[in-house]
Amino acid sequence: MLQVEALHKSYGKRSILENITFTLKEGDIVGLVGENGAGKSTLLHVLATLQKPTKGKINLNGMTYHWKSFSQIRKHIGFVPQEVAIWEHLTVEENMLFFEKLSWKNKSKEELQSLCLDMKLNRWKEPVHTLSGGMKRKLNLAISLIHEPELLLLDEPTVGIDLKSKQEIAFYLKDLTAKTGMSIIYISHDMDEIMNLCDRVFCIGNDLFYYELLAQAGQEVIQL
Amino acid sequence: MMNILQTRLIHWKKQGLHLLFWLLSPMIVTWLVITAGNAIQDDTKIPVGVVLKEDTELAHDLYESIHTTPFIRAYALDEREALHKLEKHELDSVFIIVEGYEEDIRHGNRNELIKAYESDVSLAYTPVSEMVMSYVQQDVGRSKAAYAVKELADTLQYRFEFNWDDLIARSKQIEKEQDLLQTTLTFLGNGFVHIDEGKNLFQPWHIWALAAFLSTLLLFDWVIKENNPAILPRFAFTRMSMKTYFVQNMLIYITLLFAVDLLTVLVFYYVFYEPISFSFIISLLSYRLMISLGAFLLALIIRQTYVFYATAFILTFVSVIASGAIIPLDGLLAKYPWIHYFNPLNAFLQGDFFHIGLGILFVILLLWYGRKEEYDATS
Repeated sequence: MLQVEALHKSYGKRSILENITFTLKEGDIVGLVGENGAGKSTLLHVLATLQKPTKGKINLNGMTYHWKSFSQIRKHIGFVPQEVAIWEHLTVEENMLFFEKLSWKNKSKEELQSLCLDMKLNRWKEPVHTLSGGMKRKLNLAISLIHEPELLLLDEPTVGIDLKSKQEIAFYLKDLTAKTGMSIIYISHDMDEIMNLCDRVFCIGNDLFYYELLAQAGQEVIQL
Repeated sequence: MMNILQTRLIHWKKQGLHLLFWLLSPMIVTWLVITAGNAIQDDTKIPVGVVLKEDTELAHDLYESIHTTPFIRAYALDEREALHKLEKHELDSVFIIVEGYEEDIRHGNRNELIKAYESDVSLAYTPVSEMVMSYVQQDVGRSKAAYAVKELADTLQYRFEFNWDDLIARSKQIEKEQDLLQTTLTFLGNGFVHIDEGKNLFQPWHIWALAAFLSTLLLFDWVIKENNPAILPRFAFTRMSMKTYFVQNMLIYITLLFAVDLLTVLVFYYVFYEPISFSFIISLLSYRLMISLGAFLLALIIRQTYVFYATAFILTFVSVIASGAIIPLDGLLAKYPWIHYFNPLNAFLQGDFFHIGLGILFVILLLWYGRKEEYDATS
């Protein structure tokens, strides 16, 4: 489904990603871990077409990454940014409707509400600024799923939220991949969350701390 | 475009009153300033009592002339009441049109036609009495002209039946038709200044242009509020880029604002008797485009709303100064005409279709739109 081959990314002389190669199958949930500054977010941004690789090849469902085809590729990608990217002054319903109007796929209000309810986001009419951090994170995720992407990229989507909300999100994502075959790449610093949710884990950077930690815990882990 | 309109309506639903207030504020501010200006103008008029001792056409015409003089508030009173009010200093002066006024005028008698009274605190007696005398002089002169015509006809042995009333009526008609009292003044050899009698103290479209300038700037704070760096990457995964979203929303705002401008044209036509013409509408559209583009681009540069609001007020103040509303700049503008280019109101108030600023702003917009976005995978 996703093939990454000899990917390099550097800013001037500073190399961030070096020779990254991996593949992702349909329905895979892959964790991406590493110390701060290792290049996790950069890799996610490159895969999301938000940044161009310096070298290497990426192929998503037969589409090779090239700046000319980015707009086409983006239709197949869902991206959940690290920051909560929603309109705080609008309600959950208005946020969903707003991004649905700009989305490639049209959805009814009932479908949008159902998407939220599936991840236990039930405060449909509430203004976002009154919601808890967990609810906001769920809405942040729900908006990224409106256009039914095949590859979902999440950059620390549960940072700073309570355990219950984390579990609800994890449960929802597992259920979603099982039902739709969507593949997921998930960045987190929470090892419990990674081990509960992910089938495989990619470690990035030179520090082997995460690799050893996860390997000892019996997790399938690959150092990129 | 329909979808973008729907997203705009979602935002507007939350800001209905705010939006309505700033949309209508230029119209309301103009009405308030004009009304207040007229009220102040009325209050500062000199109160003058006029007593009509005879009921003739000339006497009534004289009263009407005094009554319609700008900066004078004339009251028709009887002599006793008028003098009583003068003693109480409720009137600045009193003018009595004595009995036999018309008859005296007919016979060319110029003496003691009007009796005038002043008090010890009369401030404007001299100029007002001069003015009343000029009206009387006008009537006397007209009568003398009638007799001159008769003498001329007699000298030339021209057969004609002399009728004083007909000649006076004809004289008044000529004066009216030829608009003899309309004056055009010229300052420093440039620009004509047209003096209109009985108009508003302020020009409605001048006030409106300044109020619209400020309200448009303040309305475009949506650009700052929605130019949210956190939301920016979301637009990469939608049908349109952030820039397209902003430009399309700007077009929606301009359409809405221009619709309200057209409503203002109608309101001013009925309320202030301001004329409507096609060229004026084009000039208005040009002004609307310029201030909206300016507000949009300014809001893209500034990140904090309070800095934007402060800048909006400063720019409006500069425009007020540059437009000559506070300090007359006629001499300065005659010497340095390039100052006009820095006054965004200039083209609109002169009725021009194009201001250089509109062209510059349009080029800046194109450059901004053509520049790649942060999240376009080129970094």
